[in-house]
Amino acid sequence: MAKVPRNFRLLEELEKGEKGIGDGSCSYGLEDSDDILMSNWNGTIIGPGHTVHENRIYSLKIRCGERYPDGPPTIQFVSRVNLPFVSQTDGKVDPTRLPVLANWTRNSSIETVLVEIRREMASFNNRKLPQPSEGSTF
Amino acid sequence: MSTLTLAQSQRIIKETERLVADPAPGISAAPHEDNLRYFDVTIQGPDGSPFQNGVFKLELFLPEEYPMAPPKVRFLTKIYHPNIDKLGRICLDILKDKWSPALQIRTVLLSIQALLSSPNPDDPLAADVAKHYKEDEVGARQVSKEWTEKYAT
Repeated sequence: MAKVPRNFRLLEELEKGEKGIGDGSCSYGLEDSDDILMSNWNGTIIGPGHTVHENRIYSLKIRCGERYPDGPPTIQFVSRVNLPFVSQTDGKVDPTRLPVLANWTRNSSIETVLVEIRREMASFNNRKLPQPSEGSTF
Repeated sequence: MSTLTLAQSQRIIKETERLVADPAPGISAAPHEDNLRYFDVTIQGPDGSPFQNGVFKLELFLPEEYPMAPPKVRFLTKIYHPNIDKLGRICLDILKDKWSPALQIRTVLLSIQALLSSPNPDDPLAADVAKHYKEDEVGARQVSKEWTEKYAT
């Protein structure tokens, strides 16, 4: 199998993100459109329906380091949110507590991370967690 | 390994050997040690173009389907050119629908070098640069020259 190098992999992800993924409940794009190394990304998750997150719009920062996609990206919430894998100090996602990051493989992507976080929001344990006021940030 | 895959690998090895042993003027391409489908490339700006005296870094990757699918190439050095965007992506027909397996890494890189000599603002990728080239070619070429001095030397 041809191993796609980091930059070409990120270009593919960028082009997929620009076209729009799935039903639009998760999206992402480059923080700075002329970041030639494509390290810093913004992500958005629309809170899943029938949960405390319904209709909330969550902003996240995603950083793809030099080892990406052999190593996972680092994720930090900008919007305040109460989830067990999100630090309540600075919004950083603890990679050991989110399976998609803990068990990272090259088949995972920025998209799968956002989709998995959204799925966690709707999980039995998390769907009713008390949340900070809407629109507040870390 | 299937016959087709073996033929593809042999083609990549042959192309690489020739690129290293007999490089095209002003062009270098070297494969990464840990990924023989991934090349570090440099292209010298052609004489008489605003990119003259510049050395531009690019990266090239041969996807699984190569040579049935074209190589993927992009500039790593910033360049002010109507057919190259801010992320270094290149608008060139042979990298898209005009690709043919009869073309090679060498022909692709020569075509990119030729694109530096003859920008095509009628088929733009960087719309703002193309507009500049159409409305004020002298001024646009001057910016290309300044960027070459700033980023490519």
